Amino acid sequence: MLELIGLTKRYGDVVALDGLSMMVGPGRIHGFVGRNGAGKTTTMRITLGLASADAGEVRWQGRPVTAADRRGFGYMPEERGLYPKMTALDQIVYFARLSGMGGPEAKTAAAAMLESIGLGERSGEPVEQLSLGNQQRCQLAAALVTSPALLVLDEPFSGLDPVGVDVLAGVLKTQVDQGTAVVYSSHQLDLVERLSDEITIIDGGRVVAAGAVAAVRRSRGVDRLKVALEGGRTAWADDLPGARVVGHEGDEVVLELLDGGDDQEVLDAARHAGRVVSFRREAPTLTELFREVVSS
Amino acid sequence: MTRLQILRLVAGREVRERIRSKAFRISSGVSLAFILAVAILPSVLSDDGPTTYDVGVFGAQSDALAGRLPAVAELGGVAVDVRRLGDVAEGRRLVEAGDLDAAVGDGQVVVERELGVRLGFLVQEANRQVLGEAALAGAGVRGDVAGQALMPQPLVVRALDPESEAESDREGLVFFGTILLYGQLLGFGYWVASGVVEEKASRVVEILLAKAPPAQLLAGKVTGIGVVGLVQLVAFVVIGLAAAAAAGSVELPPETISVAAQVVGWFVLGFAFYACLFAVGGAMASRVEELQSTTTPLTFLAMGSFFAAITTGSDPSGPVAQVATFLPFSAPMVLPIRVAAGEIGLGAVLLSVAIVLVSIVGVMALAARVYAGGALHLRGQLKLRNALRSDRGGDKRSPQDERVAGTTEG
Repeated sequence: MLELIGLTKRYGDVVALDGLSMMVGPGRIHGFVGRNGAGKTTTMRITLGLASADAGEVRWQGRPVTAADRRGFGYMPEERGLYPKMTALDQIVYFARLSGMGGPEAKTAAAAMLESIGLGERSGEPVEQLSLGNQQRCQLAAALVTSPALLVLDEPFSGLDPVGVDVLAGVLKTQVDQGTAVVYSSHQLDLVERLSDEITIIDGGRVVAAGAVAAVRRSRGVDRLKVALEGGRTAWADDLPGARVVGHEGDEVVLELLDGGDDQEVLDAARHAGRVVSFRREAPTLTELFREVVSS
Repeated sequence: MTRLQILRLVAGREVRERIRSKAFRISSGVSLAFILAVAILPSVLSDDGPTTYDVGVFGAQSDALAGRLPAVAELGGVAVDVRRLGDVAEGRRLVEAGDLDAAVGDGQVVVERELGVRLGFLVQEANRQVLGEAALAGAGVRGDVAGQALMPQPLVVRALDPESEAESDREGLVFFGTILLYGQLLGFGYWVASGVVEEKASRVVEILLAKAPPAQLLAGKVTGIGVVGLVQLVAFVVIGLAAAAAAGSVELPPETISVAAQVVGWFVLGFAFYACLFAVGGAMASRVEELQSTTTPLTFLAMGSFFAAITTGSDPSGPVAQVATFLPFSAPMVLPIRVAAGEIGLGAVLLSVAIVLVSIVGVMALAARVYAGGALHLRGQLKLRNALRSDRGGDKRSPQDERVAGTTEG
């Protein structure tokens, strides 16, 4: 269990983190969401000991984190880093050994890791000769090789093609099934929604929403009504008394109920205007929620 | 993991990757070629013993001239091959063909263009003695008395400050060692700087710092590269000396081993000092291209020290030598020279070593701090003051940096 408690960090006059707290449990995958500059990378660096917090605490398994704990964490920085001229295998072995693994054990683990992410045949090539996608896989292998109890991944999906995203998501699921705690940041919110057990949304160094994905979606913002009429007519919704139009998605009108508004009255109004093809009531998506909480 | 394990792991990687790198192999080859050239060329270029002149004699006094020429040549430090000729015409022909340097007889000497100083001394002196002996014999002086009068015992040379051959060999050896030391210090110091900046440019440093403290990473890097530099230096010294001895360029003086050991020992101290400074240079750059400007002051420091060493070579107890002995950056290059020249006492040597050791501790602390502060400073050249001010690497990146670095869209 990783606990970040009241982390505060300033760079001169700029407040990067302002009392940020979050928790990541074992076997859970935790999405970390926020605008650029919201403090995600700073939070991750403090967790790994690459930066020090002005105030607050990082705890691991119920006690203050130690250097030895941190050596055992898997980390994939946003700025990807590998030795260009070292072979993929040597590189993974080196990082495994720096994490505290013995020589023979590290070799076995590195070879197995590269095999499992589809780089087995290319493990003897210098990293600079691999494609960008394969370098990214190699980077992931460096973070995963020791089967860490905590994985911290800064924008792991950025730059991956859809197949790469699926491979990485699969690997993360496997790790989580083995009890690894995973925290990762991403701007691909639909992906975060699909992949995460819990999320934390931060803005300006503060947590603005946190919890299980479904709960966060329900707790914040108002339910949306999505209504489609035959022929794609939408003008009927413009001046309804109990609801306002917040957008259109294809043939659907997206409405938000106002205080005292009734979804059945909206349905009646729609039926009055024409043949209703679909009528749905939904909690806001993560993307909608994100826009709402960071702009408020 | 203990500190020692981390250090060995990091150093081990440096050694393996250095030795594998093409740049290392090429630079080693070039250095070795240079060393072999310096070791072997003197014996190839130098003359084999004294110059030998081919001189022909003819005419009435040819027997007497043939007898005198070798003795006079010995006096002048040259050798002569004498050939008896039928007449002056044969002399002309052979001189013209290049078979003879000169043909002497009947009061004349035939040469191709001009009579050089040494050849001139040789034939004029021989001729003077032959004619003088004939004149003395005509005056009734006995042959051996005449010989003594004309060819007395040469003067005994009493030099006040003689330069022995062994001494000049030793000076040459020390000079050669100093060049080698300078090359290794600068070359491998630069490896450290570029190693540091490569880790920054490839961003690998962020993963490393998550695994190990900056001081240990830096110590491992300096140790690894230093070991490669040391082994290479020892190999160069052994190969160079063996080649020089085999080619007969120098008579290796008995102090050879001690001079070589000093050069190697001072490399260890000097490298520890310079490597830490070069690590600072590397940590202040964020791309390999910026190394030039961040390491220039160090290059000048090393060059200045090298010139101090050259000056010390010609004046081992002069003011430059005295001062350079006690400056940590020049001591490693100057001390071997002064010790070899016997111009420094044990107390001064120990003081100098102590100064260098204390300085090493200081620059190591400085380097670890700048390395930590500069390691995650990934954009643009870092000011030394800022690197020292931050408590840990990650602090150098402000949220603005993160915004600039953002590569993905939501």
